[in-house]
Formats: sequence, structure tokens, C-alpha cells
Amino acid sequence: MERLKILFLMAFRSLGGHKIKGLIVGSLLAFGTFLFVLGTTMLENIERAMEASITRSITGHIQLVSAHAVDRLTFFGPEASAEQDIGVLPDFSRVRDVASKVPGVAAVVPMGRYYGQPILNTELDEAIEALEEAFAQKDPAAIEDRISKVRRMTARLKEDYLRAASLAANPEEHEKARAALDRATSDEFWTSLRENPEEGLQFLAFEIAKLSDDESMLYLPFIGTDLHRYAESFVHFEMVAGELPPPGTRGILISQASYDQFFKNRPARVLDLIHEAKTLDHRTIADDAALQDQVKRLQEMTAQVTMHLSPRAAAELDAKLRERFPEVEGDLDARLAAFFRVDDENFAERYEFFQKEIVPHIPLYRVPIGGTFTLRSMTKSGYPKAVNVRLWGTFRFKSLERSELASAYSLIDLASFRDLLGLMTAEKKRELDAIREEVEVAELEADDVEAALFADAPVIEEGGEEGLDLDARLAALDRPTEEDSETFDPAEIEKGTILHAAVVLEDPSRLREVMASLQEAFDREGLEVKPVPWTEVTGIVGQLVVVMRAVLYVLIGIVFVVALVIINNSMVMATMDRIGEIGTMRAIGARRGFVLALFLLETLVLGLLASALGAAGATALLALLGQTGIHTHQPFLIFLFGGTALHPTIDVANVVWSFAMIVLISVVSTLYPARLAARVAPVVAMQGKE
Amino acid sequence: MSAIVSVENVVKEYPLGKLKVRALHGVTVSFGEGEFAAIAAPSGAGKTTLLNLIGCVDVPTSGVVRIEGQATSDLDDAGLTRLRLHKLGFIFQSFNLIAVLDVYQNVEFPLLLQGGMTKKERDHRVREIVEQVGLEKQMRHRPNELSGGQRQRVAIARALVTRPRIVLADEPTANLDSATGQNIIALMKEINRKNRTTFIFSTHDPMVMNQAERVIRMADGRIVGEERRAAEGAA
Repeated sequence: MERLKILFLMAFRSLGGHKIKGLIVGSLLAFGTFLFVLGTTMLENIERAMEASITRSITGHIQLVSAHAVDRLTFFGPEASAEQDIGVLPDFSRVRDVASKVPGVAAVVPMGRYYGQPILNTELDEAIEALEEAFAQKDPAAIEDRISKVRRMTARLKEDYLRAASLAANPEEHEKARAALDRATSDEFWTSLRENPEEGLQFLAFEIAKLSDDESMLYLPFIGTDLHRYAESFVHFEMVAGELPPPGTRGILISQASYDQFFKNRPARVLDLIHEAKTLDHRTIADDAALQDQVKRLQEMTAQVTMHLSPRAAAELDAKLRERFPEVEGDLDARLAAFFRVDDENFAERYEFFQKEIVPHIPLYRVPIGGTFTLRSMTKSGYPKAVNVRLWGTFRFKSLERSELASAYSLIDLASFRDLLGLMTAEKKRELDAIREEVEVAELEADDVEAALFADAPVIEEGGEEGLDLDARLAALDRPTEEDSETFDPAEIEKGTILHAAVVLEDPSRLREVMASLQEAFDREGLEVKPVPWTEVTGIVGQLVVVMRAVLYVLIGIVFVVALVIINNSMVMATMDRIGEIGTMRAIGARRGFVLALFLLETLVLGLLASALGAAGATALLALLGQTGIHTHQPFLIFLFGGTALHPTIDVANVVWSFAMIVLISVVSTLYPARLAARVAPVVAMQGKE
Repeated sequence: MSAIVSVENVVKEYPLGKLKVRALHGVTVSFGEGEFAAIAAPSGAGKTTLLNLIGCVDVPTSGVVRIEGQATSDLDDAGLTRLRLHKLGFIFQSFNLIAVLDVYQNVEFPLLLQGGMTKKERDHRVREIVEQVGLEKQMRHRPNELSGGQRQRVAIARALVTRPRIVLADEPTANLDSATGQNIIALMKEINRKNRTTFIFSTHDPMVMNQAERVIRMADGRIVGEERRAAEGAA
């Protein structure tokens, strides 16, 4: 004990005697520890937050996929394409029955990750519809107003079309389109339209409207699922507007972010974006080229406001804008364009004016909640398929509202989902089995059956009347009757095919254990299902954490290797310097072990002091961050942080680990010099000077 | 009087590149308990080598060195270390104090290495010996705060604190002025008389030699003469 005391004393005092060396090595070790504690703690917090973000909103803790999956199921990033071949789970109800009996499983949610294209009215469609309505109302002022709008849009369309004409593939079609546009922009056409609206409107609706290409025609990623079970099982899920469809009813729920992005009236949306950029990200129009560009675009979008206004609302708005812009010549559109010329000074006031005076008079979304739109997709075997879906409402994931990643997916009922993918429902499977029996088709490949299930699918080449009969009947299977286009039997629907399923756990820390039990249960029941942890289905997001971890460890590694080399070097030099002292101690009767211990202790004391300092610094910083939180408006960081702020908590284990590492590094770096010192012969004490 | 140290026909060779340098050519000498003996020789005659062999910091190439009958060549490093710690005390030409420890701690150091003593016993022993060398006022000073003579006193205290049977001193006065050297030798002699500790020291200073009861003369690695004087000498 006393010997240890003198060892410590000597170690401390030796350190005091070599201040510069101690300072350099000490600050390196302190920095390494600081980095280690801060880095690992932040990473763990991010991982935990991200785990909560993902598992409580989209993936659950475990995904169940077919054991025959060729590709890896991935929800995020470039790998998450529709082409992923992850196989199918032929009967969800069996998977659910087996999985939900496994202890620790809280819920099993059927899923299918896929993409569809919402087919929405273009601006021109809407303008033509408005004109139609004006004719129906026999309101001459409205008719003239709408005509001027459609004419302006048609003229713009012609310009765009001619500009892009060189790219047109089919010259014949191109000629036809050109002729139609020429007609639609001629004065004669509009004169005749006033006299004979029906023919003219039809021409506009069928020949002209289709030429208009809407930029917002984007793919909508969706998850086919049991909407009620989804809403119950994922705690981050909450409805924003509308309601869940009643059980057994077809329908789609769109994330509020996608709804705003793809469905919102465009000038309203652009104003929102500028508002967000200014208030949340503190960007200014004056300094931001992207915002300036948006302001410019905004001025070309006046028609998307004015064409929706009733004549009365238009007149009222015009009066208000006239007051503001007495100098502006021309019509309401010209005055609205002046209004849309926003800058940092007037934006807040004009944004408020827009919300108060304009929004109530226009349809804010292209499909209102409760409305229906067409969703088009490709079936798994490559045929286009479209279904009409009713938009029941919008939802968001708590605290992830601004995260694009978290809000990318919309949710659709299982019956519509199966239709879009051409997957079999239990009912269809039965009917198909009956037909199969009848015509004694021994083996129909799944793909062929699926292909045959579409009205618009090419007819399978087969000779004889029976073959044709089969095709017709198979095709008839897909033609939805009035009832099943709206509703389905929720119990029945579970018996069909799905792509994958999410398992939500009672206790996420038991993930590995439950996964093993699940695998065992599936094997026992002869189900070819494979449980995959959430970390493996997150694609680029999960990889990001791995990469961050790797970068951190490399960085820490470099700091520690540098520390190791420097400590080793300086200790070798110290040994040389202190040969006399070591020899003296040996001559007086100190054993080799004593010398070894002395040298090891010297670095250890330094290491522990330095790492205590580093750990204290990191802990203090983390405690501060835990109080204030790290705030972000960056959508991706919001996803990582599980919200707009991350409040890191300190894990004592990381501090302990950092100390363990420092001990290891101290020992390893001093081992060689200490052994060198221990080998100093006592006889050197007799030679030369101290 | 039985010999406490006996050196029998000892040869010591050092490698020097490919050559071997013979520092001792068959030296035989022994020292009795309580002797106060000087080895006098010019530089390079082998006196330090002889002291190293007696001090167990080195072993002979041939021949035998016995400390209280124990042949040093039979012991491994641990055994030699133990022997040095318990039976021998060292006083070095350049004092060789541990720079980071103060006077008290330097003196206490061998006791800590030995172990087996309570703090109180140790404290008593340290204070006693430090008082004996007259440094009680400098107890908490570090070596660099002391004069050469004071440092050598600390070294003497450190060598004696374990109450060794034999104290070896290699030119203990070489780095001191002559008055201080005289004082140091007087101190050593006093302790020798009081405790019957055997002192073997090397020197080429005639003044110091005069204090010795026995002077062994060496030249070229051999013993070339020996004188004995009256115990009270020139004191």
C-alpha cells in the first residue's frame, strides 16, 4: 500500500517535471476522450431517436419478408425502387396467426411498399371545367372571364408545345396536335364557341387538355396496409384532417406533407414554402436565389387563383387590389401578379392577406378530403393498372412533420393495393381455382394468372374456344362490381397475398430474442418467412449511421494512434534521460517490477487525468445540449433526431468505455519504454552522473 | 573474525566491441564485520569494478564473491536485488538521489521497498537517521535545494536507514570540497563505530585514506598492497 503511494507520488512528480510533454500528450488524450464520449453519445442518441422515428412510424421493429426474397426490402434511398424483388407472403392471415402468438409481439401489420401515379386534373383541365360550369350557369360575365383564361392558357400551351416540338417522336401525331392548337388559338374558334359551346368544349377537353403536361405528375410512394391496424400499432401516427375509412372500406390516406407538395394549389404552396424558408430557416428573398426564382414563378401563377374565383369574389378582390396598386393597368391577373411580387419587407403582410382574403375563395387542394382520384400503377408483372381511390384524410408522424423521408409514404387499403399490384385476394384465388378446375388447367404459372387478371392485358394466345372462354372469364374477374369497388370484407382481405409485414414489439430491447422466436415459429409451421430487423430495411438511412460511426471511430483511432506514438516516443526518451535514476533505484533494491510499474503508472496517471478532463468536458457539453437541445429545420436531420430537437442523454457506459480505452492506450504505449527501463542494469548507477 | 565479504580469485572481463577487457585479474580479498576499509587506486585500476561485484550490481566472470557466505553468482536478478536491499547500503560518487522525492522520502524509499514496517516504525527510523546526519531542518527539501555535502548526507542516511551489514561507497568525497569531504568521512566513521557497520569505500584522496583502518591498494586490476592502521587513526 505504502509502496503504491510512493509510486503514485513519484509518477505525479515526474509528470510535474516534464510539463510540456505532459501537456502535449495530455491534451491529445483529453481530446480523444472528449471526441469519444461526445461522438459515441451523440451517435447513440441519434440512433435511438432514429430508431423511434422509424420503428414507430413506418417499419415497426421487425419486418417479415418471404424467405425467397431476391432483393433486400428497403424503405428509403435509391435502392427503394418498385423493381425490388422481395417475393410475396401468400397468406397474411397465417403469418399473422403464427407471429402474434410469439411472446413480445405487440402487433403484426400487413404491408406492401409500392409506387403509384396520381392522375390529377391539370390547370387547363380545371380551367375548361370552370368554363363549362359558367356556360351551364349561363353567366355571361363569368363566361367571358373563363374564356379569356382558357385562351391565355392555350396560347401559352402552344408556345411551350412548339418549343418542345423538335423533341416529338411521332411527326404525324405532332402535326395533328399542331393543327388542334392552331384552331384553339384562332379567333374563329372562340367566336363559334360562344355560339355552340358543346362542340367547342368537347374539342378543348379531348384534343387540347391532353396536350398540357403537368409538372406535378409525380410518383407517390405508398404502403398498402390494414389502415386501422396501422393507426393503432404505430404510435407516431396521427390524423391531421379527415378520418380513417370505416373498416372494410377502400380508401387512401396521404401524408400531410405529400398532400401539400402534390395536391395543394400551387401559388398557395409556393407562398407556404417562402413563408417556411423565411420563418424557420431564416432565409431572405434578397439573399437567396432560389427564393427569388420562386417569387418569379409565383407571378406566372395568377390564373391558378383567378380561374377559381366566383365573379363576385373576383370583383371584391379586384377592388381591394386596385386600392393597393392604383398604378397597375390591365385586369385582375395583372394586379394579382403585382401582389405576388413579394419581397422581404412586404411578405408577412401579403402572406396574411392571401390566407385571409383569397384562400377562402379557392379550392386549396386539387383533391379535397373526401374526394376521389385515380391512382395508376404497374402491376408486378408489368401491366398498367388504375384504381379510383377516395381520399379519406391526411396524417402525419408526430414530431416528424417536416421530414421528407418520414412523410414520403401514403397509406392505402389492402384491397386497392392488391388491385394495383395485381396480387390475388382470397376471393379471386377461389374463383380462379374453380375456373382452373373447370377447364382442367393443371399448372398456371402465377405470373400468367396475374397477367390474365386484367381487362387490358393482352390476350393469352391459346387455340380453341375453351381458351378464349377462360381469358374472358379471367378478365371478367377483374372488372369490379359496384359493391367491391367501395367495400370489402376485412376478415377475408387478410387471407390474401401481401408483400411483407411489420412486427411491433412490446419491448424494443428484446429485438434479437423475438426475432429468433419468430424464425423458430415460422419454421415449425412450415411458413417460408424471414424476420429482418428494422436496421436492415432502412437502406441509406441505416447506412448513414454506420458511416457516421465508422468516420467517428477512424477519427478517434487516428487521435489515439498519434497519442500512442507520441507517448511511446517521449517515454523512450524519458527512459534514456533517467537511466541513472533507474539504475540507482535498482541498486538500492528496487525490483524490475517496481520500475515497470512506475513507468506504466506515470502514463496511466497522465491518461486518467487527461481523460477525466476530456470526459468532463464532453459530459458538460452534453448536459448543456441535453438542456437546450440541438435544434434543426433540416428535414433529414429532423428524421435522424426524431423531431426538430435532439436532447442528448449521457450514458455512463460511454464514459467508462473511454476510460478503459485510455488505460489500454497508456499501457500499450508505455509497455516498450517501461520494459526498456526495467532492463536498465543497476551497475549504471555507479557510472557517470545522475 | 569471520569475513562478512569474501572475494576469492575473482576475474572480471567486460566486452569492448569484439575484444574483452579484463578489469580484474584474480583478486582475492576479504572484509570482516565492522571494518572501515578504503580501496585506494588511481582511476582505471579496477576499484569500482571490485565495489560493483561486492555490491552485487554485477557478478564476476570467474571466481566467487560471498556476502555473509552466500555466493553472488548463484543468485538470479531477484535474489541479487533482495541481497542489495537487505544487506547492503550504497553511497554514490554523485549522490544519486531521486530528484522528485524530498529528503524524507529519499531516505524512506528503501524502507518502502523492503516493506513489512508500520508507518510509525518507518517514521521513527527515518527521523532518527536524518537527525544523525544533521538534516532534520531540511527534511522537506528536494535534492536540488541542497548543497553537495547535504546531498551526500542524505545519501548516507538512505544507505543506512535499512541498517545494512555492509555499506559501499564509491569515491564518496570526489564531488565535494575537502572540508565537506572530511566531514562526510567523519560521519561515516562515527556510524561505523556506533553500529559496527562494515564500510568499504574507494578513494584516491590521501586525506580520506588517512581515516581508514585498512587501505587496500590496487593497480591494473590487481591488489598490490595493504596497510592497516590504528582504529583511532588521525581523527
